[in-house]
Amino acid sequence: MIRTARRMLTCHWSARRLQRYLDADPAAPLTSREVARLEEHLATCERCADVLGEHRLLSRALGGWRRGTPVDHASVRRVRALVEDLAEGRER
Amino acid sequence: MSLDPQRRGTDAPPDPRLRAFADVVEPEIEVLLRVGRSLTGSDTDAEDLVQETMIRAFGAIDRFDGRHPRAWLLTILRRTHLNMHRRQRPSTVGDWEVLHHARPAFGGAHAPSAEDRALAEDLDPALRTAMAALDERFRAVVVLVDVHDLSYADAAAVLDVPVGTIMSRLSRARTRLRAALAADSSRPGKETR
Repeated sequence: MIRTARRMLTCHWSARRLQRYLDADPAAPLTSREVARLEEHLATCERCADVLGEHRLLSRALGGWRRGTPVDHASVRRVRALVEDLAEGRER
Repeated sequence: MSLDPQRRGTDAPPDPRLRAFADVVEPEIEVLLRVGRSLTGSDTDAEDLVQETMIRAFGAIDRFDGRHPRAWLLTILRRTHLNMHRRQRPSTVGDWEVLHHARPAFGGAHAPSAEDRALAEDLDPALRTAMAALDERFRAVVVLVDVHDLSYADAAAVLDVPVGTIMSRLSRARTRLRAALAADSSRPGKETR
């Protein structure tokens, strides 16, 4: 009983950190101790590992949309030319 | 030495700070165009917005501390957008329709793996429906962070909200997307992944 309650607490603790773990964003880093504890839990908890897998799947699917709508290369070239003109002091 | 190109002699050597401006902003052009398209909903308007942003950034280069160039440029982009369109704080993104009709391109330049093709075929329709059902403020954060790959701080600069707000909206949005996808996959006739 106590063991189950402890595991539930760890699941709750992990759930609150999963997205920060996956994003690894510099604005909200996990400490190395948090990462170690989370990875230890994920190795033994099938349910939390499944949630992590779902987050990864979602991230890959959304990233696919970015690659499906590339930026217009002609626009990039024109903006780059403007930047070069500004940097070289050329009038437009 | 003056930063103003008009005040430099024509034979004067290039100001290293002007070259530094180009070095700082050029790697960010694609991101700015993507986010510009998010804010304006159009490639043409995005280019106009980014060109104006570059001119304003050039004028403000003396006040740039050299740290976080992307966030600095995105802040100028947002303010420029506000000035050009006299809009309120942008809580939504305009390229949802563009993304909504885009075909996923898993793997970029490489041929998609069988797994990625299956992912696109199985997940994409349900994901589009789930995204469309999200509140616009939540969808904006997902588009900026998960689709356009911005950091929390960069997304905060675009939407003019604190990083904590980005994190909380992102967490709630992803939870809703996951729940919607789980509900879809458990529908009769749908194979569970």
